[in-house]
Amino acid sequence: MKRIEDYIGTAIYTTVLLFAGLFLVMPMIVAVVLSFDARSFLGAFPPTEFSLRWYREFLSDDYLHRGLYTSLIVSTIATLVSTVLGTFAAIAIDRGRFKGRATLEAMFLSPLIIPTVVTGFAVLIFTASLGIMDGLTRLILGHILITFPYILRTVLAVLSGVPKRYTEAALSLGAKPWLATIEVTLPLARSGIIAGAIFAFVMSFDEVAVSLFLSDPFTYTLPVALLTQMRASLNLTIAAISVIFLVVSVLLILALDKLAGVETLTGRGVYGR
Amino acid sequence: MPLDRFHKILVLPAVLVFAPLVIGPLILLFQESLRPYEGGSIGGTLNAYLTLSNYTEFWHPTYAKYFLDTFRVSLIVTLLALVLGYLLAHYVVRVAKPRIAKLVLAGLLGVLFISLIVRIYAITLTFGPIGPLRDISWLVGIDPRTRRHTELMVVFGLLHTVLPLVTLTMIGTIQMVNPRLEEAAMSLGAPGWRAFFSVTLPLSIPGIVSAGIIGYAFSISNLVVPLLMGRGFVTFISNLIYFRFSEVANFPSGAALSVIMLLIALGIFFAGTRIVSAIWPPAERSGR
Repeated sequence: MKRIEDYIGTAIYTTVLLFAGLFLVMPMIVAVVLSFDARSFLGAFPPTEFSLRWYREFLSDDYLHRGLYTSLIVSTIATLVSTVLGTFAAIAIDRGRFKGRATLEAMFLSPLIIPTVVTGFAVLIFTASLGIMDGLTRLILGHILITFPYILRTVLAVLSGVPKRYTEAALSLGAKPWLATIEVTLPLARSGIIAGAIFAFVMSFDEVAVSLFLSDPFTYTLPVALLTQMRASLNLTIAAISVIFLVVSVLLILALDKLAGVETLTGRGVYGR
Repeated sequence: MPLDRFHKILVLPAVLVFAPLVIGPLILLFQESLRPYEGGSIGGTLNAYLTLSNYTEFWHPTYAKYFLDTFRVSLIVTLLALVLGYLLAHYVVRVAKPRIAKLVLAGLLGVLFISLIVRIYAITLTFGPIGPLRDISWLVGIDPRTRRHTELMVVFGLLHTVLPLVTLTMIGTIQMVNPRLEEAAMSLGAPGWRAFFSVTLPLSIPGIVSAGIIGYAFSISNLVVPLLMGRGFVTFISNLIYFRFSEVANFPSGAALSVIMLLIALGIFFAGTRIVSAIWPPAERSGR
């Protein structure tokens, strides 16, 4: 039996949900529509004529291409390094019984708590004092810090749901520790490794604050290039890039879901505890 | 080879790469913050006496505004995100059909997957002074041509990340609350909204507080939203740090501010987690 208060409650609930959803989705819709705007200036919405001029503009913009190129290199290398090291670290922390595991875990996860501006500034001072002036090396070092915690968290989360006795069974049957790890533990952690790697790559690719400190005039990431352009003027090339980001984002989510399941990231994964 | 030694060897490469990369920069940052600075140079003066003047510089009323703005705007963002996010999370866990729930979940992740810079741009196009939804600010009584509108834009910019962030965190929280309890309350005659407010909501408070800490920590340390949307009217502590680096090259002052910022972030995080686990011990949570 439904009462009048139930109807009022449901109405408020639905309104708030709609507001939240629209707030998250609307900007993307506006950006998609405006990216096809034929006008050369930023005019009233909706546009009166449509064209692909802003996409052509992006395709001919060397400044942005360079950023994209650097971003891909930096994020790929940082993610690879973090995935390999992070997976082994997570296995050791989860399956191991040695002392100091909690301290290690806290250290590995610390970049999640340290504000990214502080990380960027500190790594800049660190690399300068070591004499590392190469932009690419600096960026990769900074991005290893950003990506590592995500891999560790997702792999730890997945492993915590896998009984230790599987690994122990292999060991008691005479497998060497490294064989048990490669043949048993690693495959069990597979979904966590994949989800963590995709997530870490995205976080690195989108990172601005750290990259802003570690970029130089010739080596800069795509978000840094976009930021510089946006501070200069609001032209619609960025709207075209938004659409590309949107498409890539959808593809990545689909891949993530297919390979590991989106649920891997919630609950005990990256989000939630 | 004994198992313990094997695991130590397994974690060793990560420690060798990671430990210097975390600890080294922080130590040097602290050291830099104690160096005197001479105008015009890049970075602090080497081999000089150490000083605390870089810290005392911020003990001045002009800086209070930046600290207060950072904390106040972030608080507004976090509270808004918690209210909206809790309902979204509740919808995903309790109301939506599995397919819709998964779609919302993927959507929330998708929003976070899109570069923050790109989203700031899209929000400016949508709600900004020439955007089609500009007049939505009248709903909260803000004239889109005023300074306060700039603040609203910063709130929107931060909310667009904090909302999905806290929602995804709280989905885990609500999943832990036993749905039977709410059903029991309703079968005893409580209307839906009362069951929600007197059963589900109180049981998820620890998770809400944790989500709030995550959202707040993200907000206060954000750089790009106030940089691009604040237009000089809303300036966060992180912006000051960035200006010390990009505009004046006063590294010692920037380093001192970074240390302050770091202590604030760590303080909020550890105090917050302590409070949660002191008031709601993990074992007693979830009402199962």
